[in-house]
Amino acid sequence: MIALLNILVAVLISPLFMTFIKKVKAWAQRRQGPPLLQGYYTFMKLLKKETVLSTNSSWIMRWAAPINLAVMIIAALFIPIVGIGGSGNILLFLYLLALAKFFMALAGLDAGSTFGGMGSSREMTISAVIEPVTVIVFAALAYVLGTMDIHRMALAVLANGPQAALVLISMSLFIILIVETARVPVDNPETHLELTMVHEAMILEQSGKNLAFMELAHAIKQTLLMGLLMSVLFPYGLATETTLVALVFGIGAFIVKGLCISFFVGLFESSMAKSRLFLLPNLFMLAYFFSFLTILFEVFA
Amino acid sequence: MIDAAIKTIFVLLYVTVAFIMTRRDIISLISTYATQSFLLACLAGLLYMQERHATLLWLAALILIIKMVLIPSTIRSIQKKMKRDMEFAYVSPTGSLMLSIVIILLSYGALSHLLRELGLGQLFALGAITGVSFTMMGLVVIFSRKLVLTKIIGYLAMEDGVMIFSMFVAELPLIIEALILVDLFMLIILSTILALGMETTIEEVHKRLQVLVGEEK
Repeated sequence: MIALLNILVAVLISPLFMTFIKKVKAWAQRRQGPPLLQGYYTFMKLLKKETVLSTNSSWIMRWAAPINLAVMIIAALFIPIVGIGGSGNILLFLYLLALAKFFMALAGLDAGSTFGGMGSSREMTISAVIEPVTVIVFAALAYVLGTMDIHRMALAVLANGPQAALVLISMSLFIILIVETARVPVDNPETHLELTMVHEAMILEQSGKNLAFMELAHAIKQTLLMGLLMSVLFPYGLATETTLVALVFGIGAFIVKGLCISFFVGLFESSMAKSRLFLLPNLFMLAYFFSFLTILFEVFA
Repeated sequence: MIDAAIKTIFVLLYVTVAFIMTRRDIISLISTYATQSFLLACLAGLLYMQERHATLLWLAALILIIKMVLIPSTIRSIQKKMKRDMEFAYVSPTGSLMLSIVIILLSYGALSHLLRELGLGQLFALGAITGVSFTMMGLVVIFSRKLVLTKIIGYLAMEDGVMIFSMFVAELPLIIEALILVDLFMLIILSTILALGMETTIEEVHKRLQVLVGEEK
């Protein structure tokens, strides 16, 4: 019951967080920004549009978007969004994210356009650097909380209270959130410039329903990574029993916490410019440093 | 409760030193240093609550006044909104962070046996390791920065390391002696910057001084 609710809330709430980040960035630039429900309007509009496919494309282009969405929906089972229920191995979660990225990169190459290929190439370059860092971060998380199950991690934090080492690991997770969701300074989601595109270049050839699925899958991925960050940093409010009150409170708490993180992401993006590709390892190294320090801290203290 | 708070401050101190190693603009470097000083003052305050030595309270007040307000405002007034990129030399920020990991591991390896012999508690051992690591990481900042002005932040980070080590392990006279030494270095460097210009590098200073020595025959 809780597992299904986790998926439902993740799918329904994701466009709201996406739009809220755009809104915060607009406020930072003294603009009004889009209405909060813009993400839903765009999704509905794209669903009604016809899917146009290149004559050069194969079945990969047709299936990459549904596969991406399906993988993200399965990954939503692993993260405690509304409540703690079920199991979620952190390594399997990592593999699911990698699988979705793999199909997205294939689709970028499949259409045969230069932009798609360039985006896929950049995405794979960034992934090759960030994935070892992600593995170390997740290993540190498992080491500190003594389990590989994300639901049990949240339970461990709830039982033992906040720990100093978790502050470090949260920073690493925040950097992973920024990198995996293609945000400034790694990528700029607002632009379609040849020089800066990474994620947008890969989905440039997508249209209609497929584009809607891709956008939704991307939004769900962001929500799941936010959920993971919340489970570690502030799991309070998660439903541990299947009563109506606990579940409603869980949904409310998740929305509030998600909006807080979205606000912070918006501010973070507004406060800096996109980095050059060769400067990105500095950011990844910070995440690596913090997670390595977490393990050392657990050993020392 | 106090122990948990001290551990959290240690964590945040490591975060600030990581930012000092990677930041590229002087404004954020100074702000990070001011934050580090504030955390250091909190650390001294928390230690006072545990140990009840009035000296720690004075130390906290001094850190707040000098390291959080006076030094950052002095550097700010010298650099006058210099918004240019603070270049790195010899080691990139990525390399600096990797070196830092090695330094922390080496400090742990070198000190763990000694600290066990001294019979210090876990928290105090962590303080000693953090202090030595910070001092070495300050050195990394010094040689990884090109401009002299940014090297000062390295000296200041070294000074913070000495202070942390002294707070947890050594006695007060050591703090004073070590800190005066580091401050003297900084004073000389600040005077050099004032004399030779904002964008001075050590290489340029060397070149100018070479004029006084004359050419070798």
